[in-house]
Amino acid sequence: MSIFDYLRIWLAGARYSIVRTLMFRFDFIMWALVEFFWMAVNVLLVAVIYEHTESIAGWTRYEMLLLVGSSMLVQRFIMGFVWSNLFEMARNIRSGHFDFFLAQPGNPLVMVSTRKLDLDGLANAVVAAAVVLYAVRQLGLSPSIVELALYAFMLLCGFLINYAILLITVSLTFWLGAAQGIEGSYFTLMEFSRLPQQAFKGVGRLLFVWILPAVVVSNVPANTLIHGFDPLAALWLLAVTFAWLGLAIWVFNRGLRRYASASS
Amino acid sequence: MSVFAKYRHAFLIGLQSNIVYRWSFAVRALFSLFHLAFVFILWGAAYQGQTTIGGFDLNQTLTYFIAILLMQFFIGAFNEDYQISEEIRNGLINQFLLKPINYYLYRLSIFGAARLVSGALALLPILVALPFLKDHLVLPEGGWRIALGLPAMAMAALIQFTIAYIFGLLTFWFLEIQSFIILSLAVETILGGQMFPLDLLPAWIFRISQWLPYYYQMYFPTAIFTGRLDYAQALSGLAIQAFWVVALLGLAQLLWTRGLHRHTAVGG
Repeated sequence: MSIFDYLRIWLAGARYSIVRTLMFRFDFIMWALVEFFWMAVNVLLVAVIYEHTESIAGWTRYEMLLLVGSSMLVQRFIMGFVWSNLFEMARNIRSGHFDFFLAQPGNPLVMVSTRKLDLDGLANAVVAAAVVLYAVRQLGLSPSIVELALYAFMLLCGFLINYAILLITVSLTFWLGAAQGIEGSYFTLMEFSRLPQQAFKGVGRLLFVWILPAVVVSNVPANTLIHGFDPLAALWLLAVTFAWLGLAIWVFNRGLRRYASASS
Repeated sequence: MSVFAKYRHAFLIGLQSNIVYRWSFAVRALFSLFHLAFVFILWGAAYQGQTTIGGFDLNQTLTYFIAILLMQFFIGAFNEDYQISEEIRNGLINQFLLKPINYYLYRLSIFGAARLVSGALALLPILVALPFLKDHLVLPEGGWRIALGLPAMAMAALIQFTIAYIFGLLTFWFLEIQSFIILSLAVETILGGQMFPLDLLPAWIFRISQWLPYYYQMYFPTAIFTGRLDYAQALSGLAIQAFWVVALLGLAQLLWTRGLHRHTAVGG
């Protein structure tokens, strides 16, 4: 199958998702509200702490808001494009319905990851982008087109890293079977992406900044807008993206070999 | 069978079935240690260059977060709302309509058993992390904090459970209740003091929050134990908390009665 075939299938899936959303409008509004409220929770946390302090690890209120906004933006895209696909993958592995994807004439990972869209997540990406924009204006920044393009590219890297972490946690289902709630570890890890790199010290720094890709996904893009492009940091982000994506695909393929179906 | 014996059996069955999920609870407790690490890093950085925030030092604030974490495992509702919703949807509640057993008390007994298991399992990672945590733990003195904190905790558990029960009963009217639950959870996370101690809110919002049930879920007992409330505030809080317990029980009963009118029991 060529890339155009995959694109056509994805577009058909997207169309189906939109029609489905239009059928269940109340559901869409409720879930969009849910995500909106959870973003508000994070913004409120920043607002309340800065009522009592001038800076967190050297980051001012609006720099922190830009960081949190960038992290939320990446996560909204994850929620919109892949979350429910991967969440269902874990369920399908347990139930044996994963056979359905293996029987399709395409790469199983692509078919599994791109089946449908969640419009509520994508709708809230607009809200997250508004948070970033607001922070940029409050900081008096005027990034060039190149810086904006770099920022967008870095968010894409962040998206791929998030996807890789999520895929690894979900792929563990191939080995663990009934270990429900394993997907929660993704959210636990990505909570750290809302913190500035300078806040981490000692073991925490080693673990969350250097070993796990929690901090790099948001700090490098946010720093690009605040302090300008840093080639070394960009290279670090790129290397982390390739490494984790490679590892995730490897884990998925290893897991696939263990999959024994569930049919009689 | 005496009234007490019925629910004791439900409690014991709940204990057994929740011990089956011990790994699930243990993994959840382990994840919560990571959340605690997030809290320590964030607030540690926020305290740089100042000794107090909102009148409390770093260790007092960290103690607050450790206490609220334990509170979640001892009195928080986990998935009781989904379980009740499933029982209504699948028609499993029909059996309770035919037996001399109160469905609310039956579910409450199971909730009590579940929290006993999850609370005990949450202590494990805290005990493992204790060598690191003990330098940050500062618990205020005063026997009255235990004397008032324990009933506050018991009523908080009742409020937690009854709200979950009410959400479960919404299944009589709505096919899908998950979004309601997660929406309410987001509000509860803020107004229940899980993201930050509520006394850090602007004064007027804090005053409003004290009239809402969320305040009495996690924040109130935690604030008594960790020294964020004085004796008079704790006493008046207990009165408002008692009001919310009664009000929510009334609402739960109303929804149960109304819901049953809509309910159709099918099959033999």
